[in-house]
Amino acid sequence: MRGLADLVSLVARLFLAGLFIWASYDKIWDPRSFAWSVGQYELLPLWAVNAASVLLAWLEMWVGVLLLVGLFTRPAAAWATLLLLTFTGVMVYAGFTGAGFDCGCFPGQEGHAAGFDAALRDLFFLLPAVWLWIRPGEWLRLDRLFWARD
Amino acid sequence: MLGILLLAALSGLLFNALMPQGIGWLPPEVSHPRWQGVSLSRARALWEQGALFVDARDPGLYQVARVKGAVNIYPAEMGLLLRLLQAKLKKAPALVVYGRSFSRFPAATVAQELKRRGFGQVLVMKAPFREWRLAGYPTTEPRRRGRAS
Repeated sequence: MRGLADLVSLVARLFLAGLFIWASYDKIWDPRSFAWSVGQYELLPLWAVNAASVLLAWLEMWVGVLLLVGLFTRPAAAWATLLLLTFTGVMVYAGFTGAGFDCGCFPGQEGHAAGFDAALRDLFFLLPAVWLWIRPGEWLRLDRLFWARD
Repeated sequence: MLGILLLAALSGLLFNALMPQGIGWLPPEVSHPRWQGVSLSRARALWEQGALFVDARDPGLYQVARVKGAVNIYPAEMGLLLRLLQAKLKKAPALVVYGRSFSRFPAATVAQELKRRGFGQVLVMKAPFREWRLAGYPTTEPRRRGRAS
């Protein structure tokens, strides 16, 4: 039973790691475009758009990398949960305001419109994040080299 | 958790400082604004004086309700719309750009581009459109009028 739970944790961790790294590399490499995407939601004051978008992109990258190698797994999973909760809220807001633009979530410009569908998708991504937060698992984690337990 | 946040902030700071595609911590619309902000009452006075209002919101919102006489130039199609509306924009004594929220992201972006292209007096209404409407100032609301008739 414990082995199965560890397997689920490993799959959840690698899935989230891939998701966050994939989502962030384009945002990091082209910060201007991502700042534009963030600005489109009109949730932040204009002066905060650039700083927030840069911070968000790198936060996603580090969360992805830490989950991939299994280092600081629980804090990284907590960040993943927090980020996904925020994204879900933003997508619900975008749905209510009728925003039809690309959500800016993933590379590419098609099939990722901001709105309720994207909110549902983010809710789905929350499941592995919450699982990992509760149960980071034991397999293939660098954490175990440095600390006996979380 | 704070450590991860600091790591992200530091990485972002370094990358944006060192890489050619890096962006400043403040958008150019804030660090080097080419436009001026105006209050709601000043915007209304300018409307009376014949200023052309530029609606920087999405076309869907523009279709529902807008400042009377406003044209729609939103950031995603800004280049094309500026070319199409160039003659009308050039005739206006002043251009007042407004948006949907206090964020002023689309309004400032459009205003910055208008000024960069050499249009004369370009102003951004500090209040969102909702406040203009709530104040009872002149609007065009085609759908509402359609329903009533």
